[in-house]
Amino acid sequence: MKYNVASTVVFMLLLFLNIRLLNGESPPGKPTIFKCRSPEKETFTCWWSPGTDGGLPTNYTLTYHKEGETITHECPDYKTSGPNSCYFSKKHTSIWTIYIMTVNATNKMGSSTSDPRYVDVTYIVEPDPPENLTLEVKQPEDRKPYLWIKWLPPSLVDIRSGWLTLQYEIRLKPEKAAEWETHFAGQQTQFKILSLYPGQKYLVQVRCKPDHGFWSKWSQESFIQIPSDFTMKDTTVWIFVAVLSAVICLIMVWAVALKGYSMMTCIFPPVPGPKIKGFDTHLLEKGKSEELLSALGCQDFPPTSDCEDLLVEFLEVDDSEDQQLMPAHSKEHPGQGVKPLHLDPDNDSGRGSCDSPSLLSEKCEEPRANPPTFHTPKVIEQPENPQTNIPFTCNPHSISMEGKIHYYHAGGSKSSTWPLPQAAQHNPKSPYHSVDDMCALATLLDKAGKDALRSSKTIETGGEEKAEKQKEMERFHPKTEQGTAWLLPQEKAHFISAKPLDYVEIHKVNKDGALSLLPKQKENSDQTEKPGALEISKEYAKVSRVMDNNILELVPDPRAQSVVLFEASAKEAPPSCQQNQAEKDLACFTATPSNCTHPQGGLDYLDPACFTHSFH
Amino acid sequence: DNYKGSLLLLLVSNLLCKNVASLPICPSGAVNCQVSLRDLFDRAVILSHYIHNLSSEMFNEFDKRYAQGRGFITKAINSCHTSSLSTPEDKEQAQQIHHEDLLNLVLRVLRSWNDPLYHLVSEVRGMREAPDAILSKAIEIEEQNKRLLEGMEKIVGQVHPGVKENEIYSVWSGLPSLQMEDEDSRLFAFYNLLHCLRRDSHKIDNYLKLLKCRIVYDSNC
Repeated sequence: MKYNVASTVVFMLLLFLNIRLLNGESPPGKPTIFKCRSPEKETFTCWWSPGTDGGLPTNYTLTYHKEGETITHECPDYKTSGPNSCYFSKKHTSIWTIYIMTVNATNKMGSSTSDPRYVDVTYIVEPDPPENLTLEVKQPEDRKPYLWIKWLPPSLVDIRSGWLTLQYEIRLKPEKAAEWETHFAGQQTQFKILSLYPGQKYLVQVRCKPDHGFWSKWSQESFIQIPSDFTMKDTTVWIFVAVLSAVICLIMVWAVALKGYSMMTCIFPPVPGPKIKGFDTHLLEKGKSEELLSALGCQDFPPTSDCEDLLVEFLEVDDSEDQQLMPAHSKEHPGQGVKPLHLDPDNDSGRGSCDSPSLLSEKCEEPRANPPTFHTPKVIEQPENPQTNIPFTCNPHSISMEGKIHYYHAGGSKSSTWPLPQAAQHNPKSPYHSVDDMCALATLLDKAGKDALRSSKTIETGGEEKAEKQKEMERFHPKTEQGTAWLLPQEKAHFISAKPLDYVEIHKVNKDGALSLLPKQKENSDQTEKPGALEISKEYAKVSRVMDNNILELVPDPRAQSVVLFEASAKEAPPSCQQNQAEKDLACFTATPSNCTHPQGGLDYLDPACFTHSFH
Repeated sequence: DNYKGSLLLLLVSNLLCKNVASLPICPSGAVNCQVSLRDLFDRAVILSHYIHNLSSEMFNEFDKRYAQGRGFITKAINSCHTSSLSTPEDKEQAQQIHHEDLLNLVLRVLRSWNDPLYHLVSEVRGMREAPDAILSKAIEIEEQNKRLLEGMEKIVGQVHPGVKENEIYSVWSGLPSLQMEDEDSRLFAFYNLLHCLRRDSHKIDNYLKLLKCRIVYDSNC
């Protein structure tokens, strides 16, 4: 029994001990005074943090003593500042004095004391935030609107006596912004903000700091809505901007109206239409075919392939076979080259019936050249081909010429045997006409009424062969009307028989009226031409003056071969043809270029023989 | 006779009217006196404020650099040489003291620091690892303290002229401590000196601001 009781008591004691131990009761932990603060340098508060309370109710006491004193005091006020605090009122606060204070925690198990804390109120001043923060948007009439921020110092701080001097700081931001905009306000209790975004809601805060202390906490946020219609002056600005833009628009419209076309062409350049190089359609309208054709400018010699395509193959007269005839040209020299015995039946160089292989014979060799040339002027006269509507100005001075022209036209239209229509068809394509043709024609026309033979005789330098040709011509052309016409080819034949045809291509007609001549490349044994003179160099015949009806009066060029001939011709001036001949020569000269300015780009030929014959 | 009469009147008014506020500051009553006093006080406050800022920075740097963990504060209790000067310890005391007395007190404190500041500069220069920041501040404080003293003497001359009290100041005898060989003792001597300087400069600044608001702005700062 005793054993049981004793064990029970021991067990109970142990239990109690264990229970107490299990409960964790212990002396309190060491408290710590973690903060002391004075809001106005007249009172202050200290807070401590208790340590572990040991599971038991713990009593905290704060005790202190001041510098220069030996008396220990206890905290006068544990309540005012909340739990675990000690509030020192004005009576208990001394400035420029160190307080040494400690906190004592006591519980059943024991007690503990905190480390002493040395506090000088001078250096723990932290005021309350400023109060009564007011915001107002001011919009003075003559100045920019602004936000006027006003506040009051914290109520506890004595500013008036100068005991504390406060400095303020404000910060503001639009409601949704992330960063604050901070401004230092100094010792004033108001502030003006000028840079504000209209229509925004702003948050404003303010805080203060004593002259030798810590910054206070930020005050409560104040809100202000900035009106979007900030100032009436904006309206004025907009009106001004509108008026200015209207003025600018008017100026632009006026400038466009004045120079609209040039501006449009500058901005939108006109699309170029199809155009033939060197071909001006306006010239067509005006009917100035010379200019038109000159504009086309067959300037290349030898001619380009284009010209070549347009060329008609001409009869080539072999020089070796018939010296009277003009030596054969190469095809590079488009022109009325007559090639004896090389007639191409398919050659559509505008020959007459004489040109046809059946008709052509040795007898007809000479006249062969003529029909094409003979007809060519006719064709040219025909208005069916507008491009060849070149007025026949072989002898413009003679009224009779005109009549002759008409006659000639009539003759041309009537003639059916010779020229052949075939020739007529092909004539437009042949831009090459011998000067001989024109000269012959001119001579013929001028001597209307006269014996054609005689005139031809006078013209021609010929000989027996020429007479033969005349007869041949007569054979083919029984009609008297055409007799005169036929004379031309005869004369032409004579011309040809007299000397080999020598063609010189007019390279171009320049502004001064000089015709640049290019001698044919093949040499000919033309006695009238100086040997070695034939070069591919250009020969120029300068025009002294232009007569009314497009007659060019040539000036002898000492350098040019043809001019030499010309001079020679001038000296030899035959009695029969003097002025008239000269005129005719000139006319020939003019006629030829006009004929040559064929739309097909033919080359112009000048036969120096023309001048020679006319003067002989 | 007129001069003696006015002086007598002044003394009588001084005895009868203890209210500090009603006492005229400028006996001659000239306008120039009032204006210049404001400027003098403004300048004095600026100087005192500046000196305390420098002192506070100097102390903090020294504390951070040399006094960590040494527990100097525990020993620097009641160790300032100017503690013998009875200075007001709170606002009420400061507001009760007469402005002339307060001005004289400021002068005394300022004069008490002439000597210590001089030695502080020379001793900091000779310190091992002479910290430039502390030295430069010490030099500056010494310079500014002299200027403030001159300004205060002018103010005193304007506030109550003709009364030249004995130059009372506290004598500083801490020089041997600054020159002790024991580093710990020497450092504590510096610490103590800087601690006292910080406190006294704050006192001067506070008193002058009180005086300014009281004298110049009639307690309505």
